[in-house]
Amino acid sequence: MLKKVTSVRFVLSVLLLLSAIFAGYSIYYKTRYWGFSLTPKKLTDVWTIEAHISFNPTGDPIKVSLATPTEDNNFKILEQDVVAEGYKTKRIKADTNRIVLTSPAKESMQDIYYRVMLFDNEKASGKTKAPVPPAPQKPYLDEQMSATAQKLLKSAKKMSGNEVQQIINLLNQTTPDANVLAFLPIKKSAKDIAQAAQNLLALKNIPTRLSRGIKLVENRKSFSADLMLEAYTDGKWKTYNISDAAIGLPDNFILFQRGGESLIDVEGGEDSVVKFSVIKSVSSSINLAGQRAKLAHQKALFDYSIYNLPIMQQNTLKWLMIFPLGILIIVLMRNVIGIQTMGTFTPMLLSMSLVKTGFVPGLVCFGLIVSIGLLLRALLSKLNLLLVPRISSVVIFVILIMQAFTILGYKLHFDIASSAAFFPIIIMAWIIERASITWEEDGPANAGKEVFNSLLVAIITYFIISSETIRHIMFAFNELNLVILFMVMLLGTYTGYRLTELKRFSPIAAGK
Amino acid sequence: MIKDFFSSFTSPSKLHAAGVLGMNSRNYNFISRLNSRRLYPLVDDKVQTKTLAQKHGITTPGLIGVIEYQHQVKDLLKIIGNAKDFVIKPAHGSGGKGVLVITGFTEDCFTKASGEKLTFNEVYQHISNILSGLYSLGGQYDVAVLEELVHFSNIFKDYSYQGIPDVRIIVYKGYPAMSMMRLATKASGGRANLHQGAVGVGLDISSGSALKAVMNNLPITKHPDTGAELSQISVPYWREHLIIGAKAYEMTGLGYLGADIVLDAQKGPMMLELNARPGLAIQIANGKGIESVLKNIEKNYPTNLTPEERVDYVLNLGKK
Repeated sequence: MLKKVTSVRFVLSVLLLLSAIFAGYSIYYKTRYWGFSLTPKKLTDVWTIEAHISFNPTGDPIKVSLATPTEDNNFKILEQDVVAEGYKTKRIKADTNRIVLTSPAKESMQDIYYRVMLFDNEKASGKTKAPVPPAPQKPYLDEQMSATAQKLLKSAKKMSGNEVQQIINLLNQTTPDANVLAFLPIKKSAKDIAQAAQNLLALKNIPTRLSRGIKLVENRKSFSADLMLEAYTDGKWKTYNISDAAIGLPDNFILFQRGGESLIDVEGGEDSVVKFSVIKSVSSSINLAGQRAKLAHQKALFDYSIYNLPIMQQNTLKWLMIFPLGILIIVLMRNVIGIQTMGTFTPMLLSMSLVKTGFVPGLVCFGLIVSIGLLLRALLSKLNLLLVPRISSVVIFVILIMQAFTILGYKLHFDIASSAAFFPIIIMAWIIERASITWEEDGPANAGKEVFNSLLVAIITYFIISSETIRHIMFAFNELNLVILFMVMLLGTYTGYRLTELKRFSPIAAGK
Repeated sequence: MIKDFFSSFTSPSKLHAAGVLGMNSRNYNFISRLNSRRLYPLVDDKVQTKTLAQKHGITTPGLIGVIEYQHQVKDLLKIIGNAKDFVIKPAHGSGGKGVLVITGFTEDCFTKASGEKLTFNEVYQHISNILSGLYSLGGQYDVAVLEELVHFSNIFKDYSYQGIPDVRIIVYKGYPAMSMMRLATKASGGRANLHQGAVGVGLDISSGSALKAVMNNLPITKHPDTGAELSQISVPYWREHLIIGAKAYEMTGLGYLGADIVLDAQKGPMMLELNARPGLAIQIANGKGIESVLKNIEKNYPTNLTPEERVDYVLNLGKK
């Protein structure tokens, strides 16, 4: 019994299970904290929002307070900085983060820049927790306006949506009725609509407030902050888009300020204006992983991972990380399926070359090199050379064939030929040598079968390792290689029949 | 077409029921368990096998000489001495590769078994190839072994095309477990390897007479080239054949081995070579799985017997 428990197979199974659990956790960890994805999305959008604040000093000491985005699960801040000469900067973290700049009195027009770089902002949503607000103050309206307002509230009922949406929709009508025209300026801005809606909702005792943020759209320049209307209904705050009355924050919307606070307060200055610009850039996902790890307080592990290496080393490792999977396929092909190939890892190296050359060009090129090589090798066998010099000659043949192909391919603009250089020279020479010996000893049919089997396994391996997704997964979640290691070791104890043996020994089973 | 393809496969459970030994199981359960790696050189190096066999009183073709270095190649005639016919083979060869059978020579040429004439230079070249490792396992440097030619018994003359028919016996823990005779054909190029198209004739382990014959995995009744009736085969000196196999166990210490034995007209059965990784085709030639036989030996056969006692034990089982 004890022997059974401590048997190799049992130990390996336990190790396989442990490594699978480890890999599972690690995949969760990397997607959760480092932002790795299971698909090979190489690039992540990085948005730069720039707020340009300008105002005229009044001669008093200056204090500028700007609301800034608060990081939550919906986006991550890569970097933020302020360009303001002669100002002291202070960050305040509260319900709404603010940057406060102070300076002694100044004279000329002031320009202050605040820049923030964000990423991973795909899932912005608009849920807000807030205490129950007091009943809204009724707006002061003269008799005529009040009557118009009542008429508007009445006609709003015919619009679609809930009561807040009805009002927003009414105010947004493309061919507004007379009452709307009376209530709003002809050239209505988002702000006008928002205020009108707030007034009308106040008449219905619905508390409202405005929040400001930035809708991330490529290359928006010099615009004012986008407004969102928040209304308190059914015991919670809901955010409404002012232009189409949609509930919730739109995609790619970054809130700067919400609740009763202002977007910007300037003391010691007048005519203050805030203009925003948005620029989109891209950055490699894995480059941002370090930043993500830092934000999630998981930096130490990241520093010792391969993703913190220079990009060149990363690329080399990325290539290496696919090897274990290729090896697993070879093991399956040989010990479970039972296909005999020339040399153990020849098919894997061939498939690696196919990845670099492309499938069809690679196969054509491989076929040509082997055929020409076999032809030259047949001539060589007449010379009765000793083993090492003969193999060496084949190696040189292969090099010369590759060189000729590459030159011809370039001159004749025949790309297929140029891929010749990607095949491993020594491996090609051995394939030619082995095939040639088999040809002499067991006939061309057996030689062809050997080459075909090796190529078949190479093609199967190619289709698996050429997948961008699989390559990405094996690199981003490289602990899977540990699972593969134990799978390969466990296959080392597989004593069942190979698939080809089911055919080979079938006469015995049939009793013939 | 597709249906035919699938029906040519059997199920693992059926193979298991027939006691068939698969390659993975052979390697894992038998070879790696019973055949220690350090014992391999004893059977992989034909010079070592030969000297060891002589010590254990097993007849093998006589050793004429060994050519170890390139400069000795020119001394070939001196080494041959009085021998009229001989065989040149690589000490570390396998599957009959690099074996050159010389049936006679004159002042300017050698004659091969097939009657083909070879110049001295061609033979020197062949020996040089052997030394450079062309035929050795793994391609390492090798030595060329010159041994006396077996004058094989005429009994099997009609059963073989060119090459020498030999008997392969699988020996498990010293007990002969399964045996077959391998007959060269035109298709196999005069060589006795089943995968190259030689005929395999399964032999009853207790009598040495034919059970059935296969070629390329298909049952046959007549030799494809000579037309001889294969079911008539009955190997004489069967006990002596088995004793050679059984002794090979004590000689090498290999728990699972294949012994290749030929029948010399004057000297009787002779051990040609031993194999630490014998193939599985013998099961097809016998129409029977070997795993059940091995398990039976493991479980029920007595231990601590001499080779002769073991052979008699096996022979007696057949009489019952």
